[in-house]
Order: sequence, then C-alpha cells, then structure tokens
Amino acid sequence: MLTVENLRKSYQVGKTSYEVLKGVSLEVGKGEFVAVMGPSGSGKTTLLNCISCYIPADSGSIRLGKTELARLGEDALAEVRNKQLGFVFQDFLLLDGLTVRQNILLPAIIGGVVSDMTEARADQLCEVFGISAIRDKYPAEISGGEKQRTAVARALINHPLLILADEPTGNLDSKSTRAVIRSFEQAKSALEATIFMVTHDSYAASFCDRVVILRDGVVWKVLEKGATERETFQDQLLDAVREMGRE
Amino acid sequence: MRHFSEVYALMRRRNKKQYALLSGCCFFSVLLITAYICMMRAPTILNVLPEGGDSRKQIMMIFTLAVIGCAVFTTYASGLFFRQKSRETGVFLALGATRAQVRGELYRELGVISLGSCAAGALLGGPLAWVLWQVFRLCVVDTEEMRLVFNPAAYVWSLAFSAFVIAMMFFLGSRSVKRTNIIDIVQESHKSEPIRDVPRWYGPVGIGLLALGGFLGYMSSFFFISVLHWYPPEGLTAVFYVPALIGLYMILLHTVVNGWNGKKKLYKDLIATSQMRFQGRQTVRNMLVMTLLIAGAYFGSFFTPMLGTGSMIEYDTRPVDYVYNFRADQDIPLEEEVRALAEEYGVTVTDFAAVPMLRLAVDGQDHIEEEGPMGTTWRTEYKEVMSTELFLSASGYEALTGEHVDLAGGEIRGVVDTEGSKLGFAPDKSLVTNYLTGEQLPVTSLEPLRYDSLFARYVMNDADFAALGAGLTEEWRETQVCFNVENCEETYDFAKALFNEIVDRSTIDVAQFSGWDPVVRDQYLAEEGVYFLDRENCAEYGFTVIDYAQRDSSAFRLSWHYMPAFRILDRMDFVKTMAVFLILFVFVAVVCFAAVFVIAYTRCMTIALTNRKVYDDLRHLGASNAYLRRSVRGQVKRVFLVPALAGTSLIYAFYVMVMYFNGSPAGITPSEAAGLLADLAVVAAVSALIYGVYRLTFARVCKALDIR
Repeated sequence: MLTVENLRKSYQVGKTSYEVLKGVSLEVGKGEFVAVMGPSGSGKTTLLNCISCYIPADSGSIRLGKTELARLGEDALAEVRNKQLGFVFQDFLLLDGLTVRQNILLPAIIGGVVSDMTEARADQLCEVFGISAIRDKYPAEISGGEKQRTAVARALINHPLLILADEPTGNLDSKSTRAVIRSFEQAKSALEATIFMVTHDSYAASFCDRVVILRDGVVWKVLEKGATERETFQDQLLDAVREMGRE
Repeated sequence: MRHFSEVYALMRRRNKKQYALLSGCCFFSVLLITAYICMMRAPTILNVLPEGGDSRKQIMMIFTLAVIGCAVFTTYASGLFFRQKSRETGVFLALGATRAQVRGELYRELGVISLGSCAAGALLGGPLAWVLWQVFRLCVVDTEEMRLVFNPAAYVWSLAFSAFVIAMMFFLGSRSVKRTNIIDIVQESHKSEPIRDVPRWYGPVGIGLLALGGFLGYMSSFFFISVLHWYPPEGLTAVFYVPALIGLYMILLHTVVNGWNGKKKLYKDLIATSQMRFQGRQTVRNMLVMTLLIAGAYFGSFFTPMLGTGSMIEYDTRPVDYVYNFRADQDIPLEEEVRALAEEYGVTVTDFAAVPMLRLAVDGQDHIEEEGPMGTTWRTEYKEVMSTELFLSASGYEALTGEHVDLAGGEIRGVVDTEGSKLGFAPDKSLVTNYLTGEQLPVTSLEPLRYDSLFARYVMNDADFAALGAGLTEEWRETQVCFNVENCEETYDFAKALFNEIVDRSTIDVAQFSGWDPVVRDQYLAEEGVYFLDRENCAEYGFTVIDYAQRDSSAFRLSWHYMPAFRILDRMDFVKTMAVFLILFVFVAVVCFAAVFVIAYTRCMTIALTNRKVYDDLRHLGASNAYLRRSVRGQVKRVFLVPALAGTSLIYAFYVMVMYFNGSPAGITPSEAAGLLADLAVVAAVSALIYGVYRLTFARVCKALDIR
C-alpha cells in the first residue's frame, strides 16, 4: 500500500542546514493501522508531510500502491490527495463556514463527484462516527472530539487508499481521544481503511497494529502488537520510550 | 451543494465582512482619486492654476502623495484579505483541490469585487467632487467663476488607477494561490512580520537626515539656479529630499521598535511595544504613508490661513484707502468725478492726491537663457535699455505720501514695502532713458523708500522728472491717484462703483496682463516677432486674457495691469477673488485627511484581528480590562500619534523655512508670522479631529477584542 524507502529531508535555517529525516524506510500494508511515535524533533511530522506531498523530500522514494509520488506533477498530486489520501489534522482544519455534513462532503465536492450516493455515504459516515445529530451544525457549535470525528469522516468520504493523521488526538481530552480512536478502529473494521497516524500519545498508539518509533530522523524500533493485549502493548510502548530516554 | 463554486459562494457569504472591507477599501481609494482628479483636471481649476506655476506643482505633489497613499492602503487591504483567506485556500489544496481550480474561483470572485468596487468608485468620484464643490459654494462663496465644469479626460486617470487596483488584486491573489508549500499557506495567518533590530542611533540620525534633506531639497533649486546658473531637469531637486524621506523612515522605525522612553517604561509598555515590533514592517510603511499624507494635507490646509492672514494684514497696513493709476490717454475719473460719485454714496473723500508719473526705460542685467548640452543655463547681460519703470517726482511723492524727499540731480530712490521686502523688484538702477527721445540720465540709486501703496515706483528730483519727461506721449505718462475716505469700512458700494467706473472707461488698449512692458515688447518683436504678453498671444502662452466682462473673477483681479487697490473692496471680495484657490486647497486637504483616517482605522483593526489570540492569552493570565485597554491604547496611539506628530512638525518646520528664505532679505515678516500663527490654529483644529477619530478607532478596536 505505502512504501517509503531511504527518505531524506533537510531544512535550511539561515546558513545552517538541519537534516530532519536521515534515510527513513517503512511499509504500511492494506488495512493496517500504523502509528509513528518519537520525541519532538525526531521527524514524525516531516515524514507525514512528505508522504502527504505537502513538502518535497530531498531524496528517497514514496510509493502509494504502484504510484511513485515524487514523479507526479502538481495536478496529479492534487488528484492523489483528493482521491487516494484522506487527511486528519491536529487542528481539525474544518471550514467554519460549512456545516458538519458540508465539511464531510468537501473532498467529494472538490473532486466534482457529488452524487446521491456520495450524500448517502456522508450520512452513513455520520452514523458510523456518531455525529448524525450534529450534521447540520457548524464547527463552532460542536466539541473538539466531534470536530475530529467529522474530520475522520471527511477523510473517508472519497474511499481513500490511506488515511494520514497528524496528532489527531493532540488537542483532545481523554473522552474525545477515545471517541476518535474508536472512529479509526471503526473505519478500519467497517470500511477497511488503512491508517497511518503520527502521535505522541502512547494510549492512542496502543490501538495500532504496528508502531514505528523514530529517533533523530531514523527508524529506531518497530513494535508489532500482534495478539498482545492493548494495555500490555501500551506498557511495551512506554518501556521503549523509557529505553530511548536512557540511551 | 454539489459544486466547488457553491462552496466558494457559501464561504463568501459566511465571511462577508472581509469581502466588505476589501471592496470598501477599493471603492474608497478609487472614489478619492477620481474625485481628486476630476477636480484637478476641471477647466475651472486649470484656468486659475497656470501651467508650470507653483500652485499647480503643489497640487500635483499632493495628488502624487494621495495616489501613493491610496495605492498602499489598497494593496495592504488586499494582502490582509488574502492572508485571512489563506486558511481556506490551504484546506482546499490539502484536500486535493488543484491550484487551477482554486485560482479559477478566486479570479471569478476578484473580478466581481474589483470591477464592481472600482466602477462604483470611478462613477461616484465625479458626483462626489461636484457635491463637495456645491457644498463649498453654498457655505463659503459662490461666483460665476466657481461653476465647476468637468473634463471627461480626467476619467483616464481614474481608469489608470482602477487598472492598477485590479491588476494588483489579481497579482496578489494569484501569488497567494501559487505558494508551493501548503503547510505555509495553512499557517500563514499566524505568521508575524518581524523586523531586524534597530540601533538606537536611528532616532537622532533620522532627525538629522530629515532636517538635512528638507534643507537640501529646498535650497538645491536655489543653488542650481542662482549659483550654477543652471536650470536642473524636473525631478533632480526632488532627489535632494531623499535624505529627508530616509530620515523619516528611520525615525518611525526607531519609534516603533525602540520607542523614545529608553528602558524606563520597558515593562509598562511591554505588550504594546513587543506586538508593534512583530508587525513592524507594515506598521512603519503605513505610518510613513500617513505621515506624508498628513504633511500634504497640512500643506493644502495652510494655504488658506496663510494667504488670508497675510492679505488681511496687507490690506490693513496699507497707508492709503484708495489707490489707482491709469495711463494718461485714458478717461478715468479724477478728483471732481470721484468726489461726485462719493457724494452719491454718502462717502466723504479726504486727502485726495493725483500726481503724474513717467514711464521711463531703465538699465539692468538681462536674464538670458541658453540651451546647451547640460540643458538650460542662464547668464546675465547688461543692457542700457532693458525695461520700463514708473517714476514719480519728489514733489509728487510728497503730495501722495506727505513725506519730503531730498534728491539731488541724478539721484533716484526706489520704493519698497514697509516690511522692506524687495521681492521681484531690483531698485538699483544706474541709467534712465526716455524711450521716445533717447534722452539719457546716469543715476545713483539711494536707499529705497518704504511705502506699501507705491511699491516698485521710483522717485527722482523734480528737475530730472521734467527734463526726462519732455517729448513723452500720453501712452508713456500715467497718473497716480491716492485718497482716503471717512469710515472706510462702510464704503464698499462706493468702492465697487468706482472700480466699475474705472473698468468701464478703460479702453481695450490697456486691457493688459500685469508685467506687460512696452520696451520688452519691442525687444521681443525685434528678436522673435511676437510678444507673449500681448493680449492676442496671452491665451497661447498660458496667461490670462484680460476681459473687462470678467472683472470680478480672480483671474482678472490678480492679473490686470491697472487693477486698483481699494482697501475695502479687496478685503470684502477676498474670499470671492481667491475662492477657487481656497476651495481647491481645502478639498485637497479633505481628501488627504480622509485617506489618513481610513489607513489608520484599517491598520488598527488589523492589529486587533492579528492580536486577538494574544489578548485572549493575556486575559487567561489574569490581565484586567484596564491593563488590556492600556495595551491596546499603546498600539492605537502609536499608529495615530506618531504620523500625526511627525507629519505636523515636519510640514510646519518646512513652512517656516520656506517663509524664512522666501523674502528678500531672508527673514519672517510680521504678516508671515501672523500667517504661521493662523496655521497653528489649523493644526490645533485638525489635531482635535485626529484625536476624535483616534478615540473612535480605539473604542472599535476594544470592542473587536471584547475588552470592556
């Protein structure tokens, strides 16, 4: 589904160049729920922004299915973002002037493919994520958790191959966090969505099938959940973080 | 809602305040520029502002400032609009919209906004100028000359400015969509405008540069022309003002970034100072434009009180109530008729004196301009017969003034005004000639006499007067009349009647533009075949054609060679005579101040918008409303106070300098001092207005930030 090979990215600040990604490689299979963790400055968000094609990588390869993203022109990239990727941002990035339902429909509207079926899917997504009651409300009138569930529904409206989530629970309280994670799980189980999430939160990451831990721009460790209980897996994640701190 | 354009339209409806602000700014700037240009290009105005004259240059200079000001604040409003819109654009792009898709919608939207607001501004600009003019006519003065006629060609300028506004909006819009990094676009509305550290010496050095630039700019013209004998190309002298502009920018930068309080009030002003610092670049640019506009507006505002005060003092200090002169071949009322007319109006004439004058040729340094590789240069060449002057005999002068003057043969004395000003008059002559007979008299010029009403006459002893006058025809002889009346203030009707009588009885031969000179005329006819001040050539060379039917117009009264000087007539008709000038300058000031207020208001509201989060955070940290208000006041005050202080002191100092160097000899005359005092009264009134707008804006900013 998603293959990242030897990805490098550096930022220029004044005359100094900072290498943020130093050859990251990873794979995400279809239907997988993968998290990327790591301390601040480890390159998590940069990795996500490169995969989202928001910023160009210096070198390396990002393949979505069989498509090499770096080779695409601007319009083709826009189409990939619209049709094959779904986005969930930490700040939700909902448009204040649109209702919940209109926000969910936005990627379809941008893609020019709104039909009765699309509207029905938006309503179905509202039901799946428990936001039907607020579908005609504006973002300013709903809670943070509801906003993020709206964002997840929006990310799924065009049947994307992959959902990219940047700290989706970063601005939420524990109750809302649970609701959002539940919505990801529902997306995975009910809609067969593939999810790639960047997070600081070991609780959120403990729901994932696999957690990639970045450190100083390289993959430091990969933890598979397998048949492990969620609580145990969270302990393993915390141990890994502690171990990283000791080194 | 199934189409992207529907989403766009919905967002537009939800953000209508932003759209209204942008449309309003475009509309307002085009409206102001159109109104201004309609006024400036109106034949009514052009008739009284001679081509190449100082007044027209001043009006053009202020117009340029107004255009720059309007262009800057429209650009700024557009930038603000796109910054507010950037989040929406960023979300669209992040969700897979193509740039072409977003650009298409944006262009459609901008097309409607820019064309609509510019068209409305351009269409209403003319009517606005007309309405303002009519209000002035109604409230101030109304003369036939004040009938405002528009020149449709003015709309070319308006269209050009509109085209700039439209092009600028599309350019900025296109640029905002073109940003390659979506992350930047999404985060752009949070981006600050940092400026580099500004050394503390910027303040004092800026003041020095400002003073130096003002002095160099003003004196460079004098230096080039008087010292180098070279007429610099248009615009070169403007270069010498550049240090002043740089100095002003440095002062504003220092004020915004460092402040003038040193570190004493660092913590008291911390929030206001630091926030201003982070939005410094735009703030300083705005302040610079506001300062220049305020200076331009004051420049226009000062004209009226300066001219009015100066003129009123001149009228009041005239030693004689009624003064006129006429050529000897004209049948103009003399004592008997004047007394009869006065009797009709119940006026008592006192001290009537009418004495003969001779128009004699005098020598002098002729000013000869030459074209060369460096442009126009000039040199002087002594001519025994250069032009003519009017000469009185010593006894005639005594009859008119009561002052006895002892002059030996071959001695002459010029007459200057009581303030000793010799402006435009060179009383030192060494040879006097009877132009008709060729009789010449070498003369010695003594210390000038001082008598306002006989300015620029010469006095010689009676014997020389008789000898040189022999053989002169009536066309070369004139009569000087001076008389007083009892209760001068109540003799307006008589003055008007006498003025009309003089004009009615003057023949077309003396319908001459002031400055017409028979000797200069002969020289021009001999050398070039045409004399530019002959009545038939005046229009072609840009001079007023003297028309007795237009006797009440400012053009006639300011330009007729034989215009009488009747104290009461001049005083009562002053506003009427100068109406076009007065109203034009007042109009210019209104336009500039309006632009200043809009820029300041927009800037302050932007500060409110940009800093909303900071104020929320401060509130969360426990800041009281009083603290927040003080912080807001610190910023709003700077936006208003700094340009107001800088612009006002800048132009006032410049005006004082102009007044000082304007006269000959240099110095401030009592009438100029009175004019400067009157200008101070204007400063006080305008400052009160600026304070009122500041208070209003401050209240609106507090309301926008929910600060009670």
